[in-house]
Amino acid sequence: MNTALHEAMLMIFSGNRLLGSIIGVTVRMSLASSLTALLLGVPLGVWLGSGRFAARKTLVVLNRTFMGTPPVVCGLLCYLLFSGVGPLRMLKLLYTVRGMVIAQILLITPIVAGMMESCVSSVAPAVRETAGGMGLSGGKTLLLIMNESRYQIISTYLMGLSRALAEVGAVSMVGGAIAYKTNVMTTAIMNYTNMGNFTTSLALGIILFFISLAVNIAVSLLQGRLAI
Amino acid sequence: MRTDAFTKTYDGRRVLSMPEFEFDEKSVYAVIGANGSGKSTLARILSGTIQPDCGKYPASGGLSIGYMPQKSFAFGMTVKKNLLLNGVGAGSGQRADELLRKIQLEELAGKNAHGLSGGETQRMALCRLMMRDYQLLILDEPTASMDVEASLLAEALIREYQNKTGCIVILITHSLPQAARAADNLIFLHAGAPAEWGRLKAMMDAPRSDAFREYLDFCLKR
Repeated sequence: MNTALHEAMLMIFSGNRLLGSIIGVTVRMSLASSLTALLLGVPLGVWLGSGRFAARKTLVVLNRTFMGTPPVVCGLLCYLLFSGVGPLRMLKLLYTVRGMVIAQILLITPIVAGMMESCVSSVAPAVRETAGGMGLSGGKTLLLIMNESRYQIISTYLMGLSRALAEVGAVSMVGGAIAYKTNVMTTAIMNYTNMGNFTTSLALGIILFFISLAVNIAVSLLQGRLAI
Repeated sequence: MRTDAFTKTYDGRRVLSMPEFEFDEKSVYAVIGANGSGKSTLARILSGTIQPDCGKYPASGGLSIGYMPQKSFAFGMTVKKNLLLNGVGAGSGQRADELLRKIQLEELAGKNAHGLSGGETQRMALCRLMMRDYQLLILDEPTASMDVEASLLAEALIREYQNKTGCIVILITHSLPQAARAADNLIFLHAGAPAEWGRLKAMMDAPRSDAFREYLDFCLKR
């Protein structure tokens, strides 16, 4: 264990090309999928949380169901869509980072929407009553609801990014964990562990931990700046 | 200002039944009554926040209405920005400063409103509403969380606003002394309907209904 840890540290600080490629693909994929999921999920969550329409409850239940979708099921669905016999085969997304990003967006968007819906539905009635009492427009009321939910947006993004970084099932099925192309940190850790290469697995695990730590610190600092 | 007769029913239970009503212009109305007598329901219907089962109400007539709900809400920004949210025109900043000074919140103007106490939040919410000139101002227990000194300041501000704008003020309150200080007219709600209404002094001197007489006796004995 000590030897593996020592070698892992050496590997990290030696600027290993393989590690660099894996980290690069992971960061690119996670940022793209989490930011897109945020852009789609926040308006959807605000709409579900603040809207007053007949199908709202049904849509909330449906979204909560999607929130619990197992990643492998999402991976399987994307695999079937993108594979040589699938309806989207012409897009050539199988075993590509773009395909992995799409799979993660499908996985993360309901989670973002669900977290936003939960937050917005708790503040929207009071905001709406107060803003309505002042005679403010619907657009301004919506902006105020968003403003009251701004900390939640940051927490939600953190959740989405963490999910993207930690996800294995969907990305391994859609991406295929191809070295220097679609291999991300989680799939690489799994594969190298299975091969008995604990040094590389440990090095990736340590880097993944510090990426998560850095993201958390950045988000905490951002929340602090938004406090007033 | 005239309202049609209207009712409000929740889950098959009628909680409010109002007859046709004529509100005197440029008057402060205090609405008093026990818990569950329909005071807040009346305020919410008159403000257009909820709709009655039937009948026309002020919000359906295009009247400009300001409404302060029972639970005051502070938006997550500075106290002054909360006021400016409801500001119109170039003099908004000056008006906000003046209102905050009158309600003695000027020192908290730059503080995040989420950090205010319940009483301070109510004072801020009252000032925020007064940033605009409404034709009808509905205040649902606006001083419930305030101490006596702050309540008196708020009452003075309400009267000043009413004199300046010439609006009708409807003040929902649990406090008979507050109603006596702040209002010209009184509406006494009992079991979801107005049991008695009219000029405040006349009602206090000679109550006509048993329900209001009992209410007065109870309040005076306390």
